[in-house]
Amino acid sequence: MEVFVAFLQNLSGGILIGGVYALVGAGLTLVFGVMRVINFAHGEFLAIGMYLAFIMHSSLGLDPFLAMLLALPFGFLFALGLERLILSHLIDAPEDSTLLATLGLALILSNTLLLLFGAEPKTLYVPYATATLRLGALTLSLPLLLAGGIAILIIIGLSLFLNFTEQGRAIRATSQNRLGAELVGINTRAIHGLVFGIGTVAAMASGFILMPMLFAIPDIGPGFTLKAFVVTVLGGMGNIAGAIGGGLLLGIVEVLGASYLSSGYRDAYGLLAFLLVLLLRPEGLFGRTVQRV
Amino acid sequence: MRTSLIALVLLALAALYPLAFPHLLSIAIFFLILAGWATAWDILGGWTGQTSLGHAAFVGLGSYTLAILANRYGLAPWWGALSGMALAALLAWIWGKLTFKLRGPYFTLSTIAIAEILRLVAIEEKWLTQGAEGVFIFSLEQPFGFDLFDRQVEYYAALLYLVLVLLLVGWLVQGKFGYQMRAVREDEEAAQAAGINPERVKLIAFMLSGALTALGAAIYAVFLSYLEPHDIFFLPLSVQIALTAIIGGRGTLFGPLTGALLLVGAGEVFRNTFAEANLLIYGILIVLVVLFLPRGLIGAWRYRAIRRRYARSAQR
Repeated sequence: MEVFVAFLQNLSGGILIGGVYALVGAGLTLVFGVMRVINFAHGEFLAIGMYLAFIMHSSLGLDPFLAMLLALPFGFLFALGLERLILSHLIDAPEDSTLLATLGLALILSNTLLLLFGAEPKTLYVPYATATLRLGALTLSLPLLLAGGIAILIIIGLSLFLNFTEQGRAIRATSQNRLGAELVGINTRAIHGLVFGIGTVAAMASGFILMPMLFAIPDIGPGFTLKAFVVTVLGGMGNIAGAIGGGLLLGIVEVLGASYLSSGYRDAYGLLAFLLVLLLRPEGLFGRTVQRV
Repeated sequence: MRTSLIALVLLALAALYPLAFPHLLSIAIFFLILAGWATAWDILGGWTGQTSLGHAAFVGLGSYTLAILANRYGLAPWWGALSGMALAALLAWIWGKLTFKLRGPYFTLSTIAIAEILRLVAIEEKWLTQGAEGVFIFSLEQPFGFDLFDRQVEYYAALLYLVLVLLLVGWLVQGKFGYQMRAVREDEEAAQAAGINPERVKLIAFMLSGALTALGAAIYAVFLSYLEPHDIFFLPLSVQIALTAIIGGRGTLFGPLTGALLLVGAGEVFRNTFAEANLLIYGILIVLVVLFLPRGLIGAWRYRAIRRRYARSAQR
């Protein structure tokens, strides 16, 4: 019985952190699906979110979840600017060049954070940092519960937006066929900006909601970029619903692997799953099987 | 003829460098090794067109092999370097067998994943690598009475390494195999139709690239004499090697060398401004190169020279 409770405890922790992974991955998968850009700067946007949460808390005393609502519009504009400045020039360039451009962007952003804030970790204390919620025999940490819950809410909001609004329809049309979308009067350049903005905001939001649990360091980004790739590949490139499944799966695999196998290899389980899926089932675990070109 | 004359003059200057600047040897050694790594990376990344962001795995393998063999079994460093190269070629073969069916960015992503897994192995398997603590190299056998921890000796070893890699790549790309590599880079299906086996070409290129990287890593290990998995197995090093070659101009013999000269030089100039944030320069330059000079510095220069030559012959 105790073994079972411990298992459920781990499982719930994995599901909650998996919710956040799903949000990070959803942003990446959307950008890839519509723009065909492998965004290496994705984790850096998460790092920027963490540092913004830190500044807004230390200077204005704002709770990170409240600060998130204030900061995200600016994050969206920032992303729009970056898209105009760099990625919009590379629309028809080979996939390699957008990969390299975003890799360069990632280096610029993370090293700027390093110059601004130094290498030492920054933490943020919220009054409910150690609060827990008892659910039968399970004990859930409140910040983790909030993070997982809010992440899932944002993803649900995102898929409602994509599926039930005119803008969402335009985005889906652009991802299916850019030329076709242009022929029916969709401004695909504007759509690219919008999508990059949404993807960036998703990563930044994940930074805000993770901040009460983690500490911010300038080079935290690449680790999350990799996690986002893992989620994206597990769920299928460009598949938002798949990203939810992929995120939850990654969270569960990491937590269970760390507690039952070896905690040092926590990050390796996800990468191993990533390689296996990439090699054996490139359309993702949940995607339809299609002939690869 | 003219090129080889310029090369000889440069080589003579490089050989005299330690006499002129005896206190600036460390930076020169790092430049020579980085240039060698970038040129070796370019065999796969430039000439064969498979962008790898996992070459730090070969650096880690080459340097750890030398250190562990020297510390545990007292094996001479040249045997350590050769074993490192053999292991690197083996790793590249397995790695390529697994992932060469992936194309373009997917291959790149898989190289990151494999290198990351190897880094975690290097940190976790403490019985072999002493984990995050790192490994010291205390003493090495002395070839012909040369002390390998002497910076001058290391400088000439690094210079020899770079010249060796350049000669090998220069010879390789002029021959049949160079033609095959470029054919695979441009269009795998067309190469196959012309009777080339793309997988075999990519495998050989990867094995050569990995083994030569490991050779440079052996010199690097002696140069550092202290190895840490967070340093030499890590993604930033892979990125540094790849970007050096791409900024300089991939698929050109002297592009990676030029890239290393530019980046190490810029890193030195901005050392006090940026301190630890020295990869900022790599970031800015690669964005500029992707936007304005997609062929890299040397590539753009050669492309213009060739265009001018054709324009002139057309006017005649």
